[in-house]
Amino acid sequence: MTREKYLADLKHSLVRMSDEERRDVLYDYEEHFRMGMAEGRSEDQIARALGNPRIVGKAYAIDALLDESKEGGGVGAASVLRAVFASISLGFFNIIFVLGPFLGLVGVMIGLWATAVSLGVSGLAVLLSPLAAVIVPGAITLAGMNPAFLFFAGVGVAALGVLAVIGMIKLSELFIRMIAAYVRLNARIVTRRK
Amino acid sequence: MNIQFKKGVLELCVLVVLCRKDSYGYELVQAISKNIDIAEGTVYPLLRRLMKEGYFTTYIQESGEGPARKYYQITDKGRAYQAVLMAEWTRFVAGVSTLIGKENVA
Repeated sequence: MTREKYLADLKHSLVRMSDEERRDVLYDYEEHFRMGMAEGRSEDQIARALGNPRIVGKAYAIDALLDESKEGGGVGAASVLRAVFASISLGFFNIIFVLGPFLGLVGVMIGLWATAVSLGVSGLAVLLSPLAAVIVPGAITLAGMNPAFLFFAGVGVAALGVLAVIGMIKLSELFIRMIAAYVRLNARIVTRRK
Repeated sequence: MNIQFKKGVLELCVLVVLCRKDSYGYELVQAISKNIDIAEGTVYPLLRRLMKEGYFTTYIQESGEGPARKYYQITDKGRAYQAVLMAEWTRFVAGVSTLIGKENVA
């Protein structure tokens, strides 16, 4: 590889730095070639000893990236790229590991709600059944059970239902808070903001 | 050799050479590549990073032959860092030597 080609390749791979810095870096390699040639080495020999210009350029790029992240807060190309990678990988993670359990939990919540509500409703029905039997004789049969027993049993079941509904409200709030926190966490990872 | 490991060792080498005397880039690279098998081009990014960290400064000096050269000069911070790396290295080598010695006995 000739000196010219080497420097051109290197220049091409020196991304993410100011023009001034790029000139500065290239100067080091120009000097290196100059001195090597003064020692009698060929351009090709020197180029080979220096190593692949793209890999050398990458070393500078990595340092520049590290500097950027140290400065922090900047919305440079690097942080955007990082955000893109973060969201893509988060996307996969979410679909594979989060979506399934989430849907499962939603199903469980629906089931629990249905249980709580039906407890309340059936309790109400039972406690009202003796009244219904009195108001509209023959409409329903009490299956030979004591009306007072039915009434109190109904009160008990209905109360249980009300308690269950209250519990479910609390549980749902917690569930929603958890989802909100997880969504916020996702957003924070993607935008890298505190 | 493991690349990360080599990088750390390379840092130490650069600092050790500069602790002895101010050097210009080419000279420094030759001093190292004479003893260690590395891509010479990777020394310059390292020099740049260490300079940014304040371990050494640069100055330009005219030379007898050809254009001016960029010299690297170690700072006090650089000397302190060199001492730390050197201690780590010594401990590491001693540890490995002990291990190897034991292996050979066993």
